[in-house]
Amino acid sequence: MAEKSDIHLYTTQTPNGIKVSIVLEELGLTYKACGHDTTQIEFSKNTQKEPWFLEINPNGRIPALTDTFEDGKTIRLFESASIMQYLVDRYDKDHKISYPYGSREYWEVNNWLFWQMGGLGPMQGQLNHFNRYAPEKIEYGINRYKNETRRLYRTMDTALASSSSGYLVGDRATIADFSCWGWVAAAAMAGVDINEFPALKQWRDRLLERPGLEKGRHVPSPHRALEQEKLTDEEIEKQAEKNRAWVQAGMKNDAK
Amino acid sequence: MATNPPEPIRVWLTPPGPNSWKVIFLLEELGLNYVIKSFSFENVKKKPFTDINPNGRVPAIEDPNTDLTLWESGAIYQYLIKTYDTKRQLSHDAHKERHLESQWLHFQMSGQGPYYGQCGWFQHLHAEKIQSAIGRYANEIKRVISVLEGVLAAKDADKQWLVGDKMTYADMAFVPWNFRLAEVLNQSWDEVWDGAPRVRAWHEGMVGLPSWKRSMEIRARLMDEQGLQWNGVPKGVETFDQYEKDIAARAAAGEKK
Ligand SMILES: N[C@@H](CCC(=O)N[C@@H](CS)C(=O)NCC(=O)O)C(=O)O
Ligand SMILES: N[C@@H](CCC(=O)N[C@@H](CS)C(=O)NCC(=O)O)C(=O)O
Repeated sequence: MAEKSDIHLYTTQTPNGIKVSIVLEELGLTYKACGHDTTQIEFSKNTQKEPWFLEINPNGRIPALTDTFEDGKTIRLFESASIMQYLVDRYDKDHKISYPYGSREYWEVNNWLFWQMGGLGPMQGQLNHFNRYAPEKIEYGINRYKNETRRLYRTMDTALASSSSGYLVGDRATIADFSCWGWVAAAAMAGVDINEFPALKQWRDRLLERPGLEKGRHVPSPHRALEQEKLTDEEIEKQAEKNRAWVQAGMKNDAK
Repeated sequence: MATNPPEPIRVWLTPPGPNSWKVIFLLEELGLNYVIKSFSFENVKKKPFTDINPNGRVPAIEDPNTDLTLWESGAIYQYLIKTYDTKRQLSHDAHKERHLESQWLHFQMSGQGPYYGQCGWFQHLHAEKIQSAIGRYANEIKRVISVLEGVLAAKDADKQWLVGDKMTYADMAFVPWNFRLAEVLNQSWDEVWDGAPRVRAWHEGMVGLPSWKRSMEIRARLMDEQGLQWNGVPKGVETFDQYEKDIAARAAAGEKK
């Protein structure tokens, strides 16, 4: 069984945020409530740049997490993948969604984890920027990042198509899969057609059947990315508008 | 000393980009047994390399001692450290420090690398100057440096490292991109570090290490071997756009044959 924890998750409804809530739910861990189940950061109020939050994450981004560590003191962590590594290292002793530290599969999971962190996340993020949030429409920027995002989807699609379990590594769904899930689920927002990638689409939908993922994706508020697939591009554009204000304000602030 | 593998670790790389040198720096610092498989950038998205890394990016390693193939420099770092840094020269034993090292490595991989890379692209390699794109990435780079400056400022003067009181692999991972900062931002070395004296000292200390100097000597030799200019474009070709077009044209011609 999992040991006693005192986890506090700082998050909001984004592809990086739900990685952590999915892993917490998959492991059946309890995490500290604040109103809802977590401390919700409100980008529109720039909560992620307030001093109390920067104490936890000097980088001013979600997700971040605090827990009482083995030594009885608080540990503060940021960067979604390092948080996921921490959670399975400490609480997934039965290796439900991970592999033993140092095993071949462990390194392969790490491989995809870094691929998501250094590739899929930043590139799809840049696509969203140029496609939805940038103050001016730059066709080159949109194409550049759309091509790269599609190339990355293709890489994953090929890997999944040749995997006998249908997961990225070995015989089970791991933090490598959960790390990518929120981004792939947000393909419609990015303007990428998931139907181009059949194995990827199947993987995305199969993971939805897991109670842990299903619960975790709705933290701290309902996950609506999949519903966007049924919307027209104009309707998605309308929804993106709501984010545009804080994204652009944030850019100004960061430029100071 | 580190545990040295009896068989050399094979490192696949194309010489220009910074990420492969991250791995060589670590191998040199640990004094591990390795060989370089240097190949041309034109072949990263082709067999046989894509059999090693389906994502078509360098670096990748093959370790015959454990029969493991691995790509993504961050994953390679953690593997080499766990397997060969047995005396903890560049890492910590304690769990807490281990998680913090990992956190900073992820920050480097997702926060530093991609934005420096995109800035460099719009600054030098893309033919058309798109000022708003250059500005976006330049701001993000300055922000990343200020995050690091704040973290170092909060630490004692004799502990100017990201984790604990010594250099770890987490510090080293930032070196190859910061090494190219003047070029990426198109500014002088002094301008680049304006307002970030601690990050500058931290970085300059690491590039003074013999292991980094050796890494850069190897790079210079391999660049020369391929007849490449500083930016990775072959001598005689004007721009990266042109280089990519040439590659595509050759690929198309090859397919027709
Ligand atoms: N590499 C980081 C990326 C985190 C990230 O991009 N967080 C976004 C939300 S998905 C954020 O907090 N943005 C707020 C801002 O930029 O002000 C991770 O995976 O944790
Ligand atoms: N300050 C950010 C605000 C937008 C943001 O935080 N986007 C997140 C996604 S919600 C992102 O692109 N993260 C990149 C990553 O995860 O690597 C920007 O200008 O891009």
